Amino acid sequence: MGVAGDARARVAPRPQAEAGPWRHVWGRRLLPYALIAPAFIVILGVLGYPLGMLLWLSTQHYGLRELFQHQGEFVGLQNFQMFRVDPQFRYVLSVSLIFTVVNVGLSMLFATGIALLLERVSRAVRILLSAGLVLVWATPSVPAIDLWQWMFDYEFGVVNWLLTHLGTGNYIHHNWFENPIQGFAVITVIVVWGAIPFLALMIYAGLTQVPRELVEAAEIDGARPWQVFARITVPILRPVFLVVISLSTIWDFGVFNQVWVLLNQRPSQDYFLMSVYSFQESFRVSQFGLGSAAAVITIAILVVVTFAYVRQTVRLTEEAV
Amino acid sequence: MNPRKLLFTVAAAVALVATACGGSPTTSTGNETGTLTVWLMNGSAPQSVVDGVNADFKAKHPNVTVNVEIQQWSDVTTKLDTAFAGSAPPDIMELGNTLVAKYAAAGALQDISSKKGSFENSGTWLQSLTDSCTYQKKLYCVPYYAGSRAIIYRTDLFAAAGVQPPTSMDQLMSVGQTLMTKNGSDPNFSALYFPGKYWYAAAPFVWDFGGDIATQSGTKWTGAINNSQSQQGLTELQNLVSKLSRADKTGDEAKQDQAFAQGHIAMIIANGWEVGVITDPKAGDPTLKDKLGAFPIPSHNAGQTAPVFLGGSDLGISAKSQHQALAEEWLGLLAGSKFQSQMVTVGGVIPNTTSLVSLSTGLPAIFAAAAKNSRFTPNSPNWANVESANVLQDMLVSIFTGKSSIPAATSAASDKITTILNS
Repeated sequence: MGVAGDARARVAPRPQAEAGPWRHVWGRRLLPYALIAPAFIVILGVLGYPLGMLLWLSTQHYGLRELFQHQGEFVGLQNFQMFRVDPQFRYVLSVSLIFTVVNVGLSMLFATGIALLLERVSRAVRILLSAGLVLVWATPSVPAIDLWQWMFDYEFGVVNWLLTHLGTGNYIHHNWFENPIQGFAVITVIVVWGAIPFLALMIYAGLTQVPRELVEAAEIDGARPWQVFARITVPILRPVFLVVISLSTIWDFGVFNQVWVLLNQRPSQDYFLMSVYSFQESFRVSQFGLGSAAAVITIAILVVVTFAYVRQTVRLTEEAV
Repeated sequence: MNPRKLLFTVAAAVALVATACGGSPTTSTGNETGTLTVWLMNGSAPQSVVDGVNADFKAKHPNVTVNVEIQQWSDVTTKLDTAFAGSAPPDIMELGNTLVAKYAAAGALQDISSKKGSFENSGTWLQSLTDSCTYQKKLYCVPYYAGSRAIIYRTDLFAAAGVQPPTSMDQLMSVGQTLMTKNGSDPNFSALYFPGKYWYAAAPFVWDFGGDIATQSGTKWTGAINNSQSQQGLTELQNLVSKLSRADKTGDEAKQDQAFAQGHIAMIIANGWEVGVITDPKAGDPTLKDKLGAFPIPSHNAGQTAPVFLGGSDLGISAKSQHQALAEEWLGLLAGSKFQSQMVTVGGVIPNTTSLVSLSTGLPAIFAAAAKNSRFTPNSPNWANVESANVLQDMLVSIFTGKSSIPAATSAASDKITTILNS
């Protein structure tokens, strides 16, 4: 309370002579900065410092010896140049981009579908469905991936057993990770499964804000459900969609656990996404400079993607004002 | 009690204590305080051995706390990197013998060359382990124990199929095929269960035909896994795997003992200690105890055995440790005759000294014998990076799944090995 009281006192105009022009300037100009300073310092500490370290590390030759002695060697942009010639890196980058697009697309599709369903079903079913979603969301990711791993296990997996018994073919000893496309399909299932709850609940929350009258008016004018969805629901939900698509992109581009845990911490190179590549270079091969450079590229790509989101948000805020 | 008598008693007691302490080699007085942190790997020393070492150590240094923490193999390098980068790494750590060069070169381990003589049996340490502890002619660790692989087989399944342990690679194939035919009704049966990423079981085939992983001339390494002898060995192995194994072609060996205990497997290539996992009441099947035999991996030259990788662990002292003398003493106990004998009899491993190898009996003796013809991976600080980059594992997976031909897969792997070892 003391701080707030103090602030109010300063903002209040003070006609007294001893206040002087200096005080006035301090109050008007600097006070806002003083107020955001605590949050700014915290953000600088927990985000800015590591980010700065990462940028610095990406310009260093930093191996194990350098790590133990806390002393690297400056190599400029050499780490980034390595990527230009490394065919492995090009593969990693394109796989990561494709993976992100597919996962964001599928997550959004299913999440929107479930959100629309939530709006239409009876109260009891809605509660059951929401509870199910929250349970999925509440499951810690590593145990969840372990469960999926068991289900897709080569020898003892229930998926192979089920597919065989359903008569879809012989899946005894079928290896889901032999072919990377199948393997990534399994990983996609797990990622989308884990992403749906948050997205669906967010979109559902948005749906409850769509004015009933608007929908009814459109229906009276003869709009089909699909048209109502495309012309009314989607435009109104645009800010929500923007947020969840941006967040999904950030999450799906940074997918790590699903690959790492599912493939017993030794994924073959076919399964390297940007995050896995960066981890492998840093913590397995002890080339911390190279690993950091890969992480910097990841961040750069995400900045470009989220820039669109930030711009749109600013625009929408301005429209609202 | 009169004063004189009291004085005499005290003097006697002091003398007694002094004599008791006389045996201790270093300057340690027993008054030290502090905490000694020891990292041992999962499955290395039986708990009774660790307790024994701690008890003997405690008797001399009652005020020192020893924390023995058990680490998992799967993520140990990351943990070690982090620990060594910090200011308080563990004082003593068990290191896989292929990892030592990397940490020694990076300056993480204390040079103990001058203390070598003070360790028991240092004159008879296993050569291959001593080599793994030596980097640029200096000693950075103490050999701990060794392990080598042989083939563990089900004697009952062999008897039912009417076959004997093979003594050549050709026989291994024919014995395996007989077993496959005999158990043809079981769709899960593997005569020789071989998971695709099991590099250390593949190496003997490469070495047996005269191939190698990499060769060194001067300071330069050249990948050799693509030379014709290496390819010959891998071709032989691929043939065996395609006909005798239903193991996951992309899987690793981590669960092979549990799989073996399920009863659909006649042979696995395994370390001696894995017998314990197979017959473990919880993870395995104790009723298999009397149905297990072992024989060395046979060579393609009939009657000989294939060279095996001599795995094992060493014990190092962190260069940053504040308790060098205490660490040496604790380490000396675990690496000394008393507890090494227990490691052999209780743990079933190959001890760090040739003078105790004869203690092995039963199955462990077969593994110890197989170790006589043993090889080691390229002793370069960068070898650990070849391992962590999964170069050889990925190569095997490509070969077994038919994703690439043996010449293509081996030459890609060889290029990578050359690059990493020389980087």
